[in-house]
Amino acid sequence: MTSQLPDRAKIVLEVIKGRRSIRDFHDGEIPDEHLRLILEAGIWAPSGSNLQPWEFVLVKDRNLLEKIKLFSPGLFGRPATIIIICINRKISERAGKIGELMSLMDISMAAENIMLMAYALGIGSCPVASFNKIAVKELLDLPAHVEPALIITLGYPKELPKPPKRRSLEEVVHVDRF
Amino acid sequence: MLTDSNRKLIENPHFKLLSFLVSSARGCVDEPVLYGSLRLIDAAARLMDIMEEEGLINDDLIRLRELIKEKMNLIMHDEASFVEFLDYISQELARIVKKANSERTN
Repeated sequence: MTSQLPDRAKIVLEVIKGRRSIRDFHDGEIPDEHLRLILEAGIWAPSGSNLQPWEFVLVKDRNLLEKIKLFSPGLFGRPATIIIICINRKISERAGKIGELMSLMDISMAAENIMLMAYALGIGSCPVASFNKIAVKELLDLPAHVEPALIITLGYPKELPKPPKRRSLEEVVHVDRF
Repeated sequence: MLTDSNRKLIENPHFKLLSFLVSSARGCVDEPVLYGSLRLIDAAARLMDIMEEEGLINDDLIRLRELIKEKMNLIMHDEASFVEFLDYISQELARIVKKANSERTN
């Protein structure tokens, strides 16, 4: 198994470094089996106290998607589908005061899993935080304790943007002391 | 079920712009300061889409709109260039206005 590790690490790094935020999509439906794999990647994210406070609303209906777009200034292009990652407050509050912050971390890790799996399947994605939460909650008939937190757009990319600048390891890594 | 009038409303480009503006107004309360500029320049491009549908646009404005769509994502990775781009768009719009004025007086 150990001898396989470098190859596996290479693939993981390629997927992590290759993913881009895609804001321009080709038309084309995503097969259901791929959507299932993408969502499965989401539920395997780490979660504080293993509470898994996430709920995923998959929007495939074009009409509904267009309505959500009306209230989502940060949503660019015409994605084939979107996943709205929500926080279930009835679950997150079990973690006490830290539950609010922890649930955000949990859904963020789920979102990254989702986007990496999408990339591995040749599907582009973009996380969108700029949307009107109240309007989206109304459109999706979400119960009061379920808060929409992040939209992930999914679709086939028209082009892959160049890698954005990254702060270097030397700048951001502090060994033993800041 | 959507009634015909509801469907017409949500497909109406003016209504789409209206929804964008209202959502942006709320979003800007919590978002980075420069996102206000992003939403406004995005709205300008969307307004030019409507002007095109209504036959109220010329080649200069089409070029300006395409430039906005191409460059507005600069905000994601290069804020200084984004601001320079806003300056450029402002100057180009002034040139269009100046040209229109001189065409009228000639």
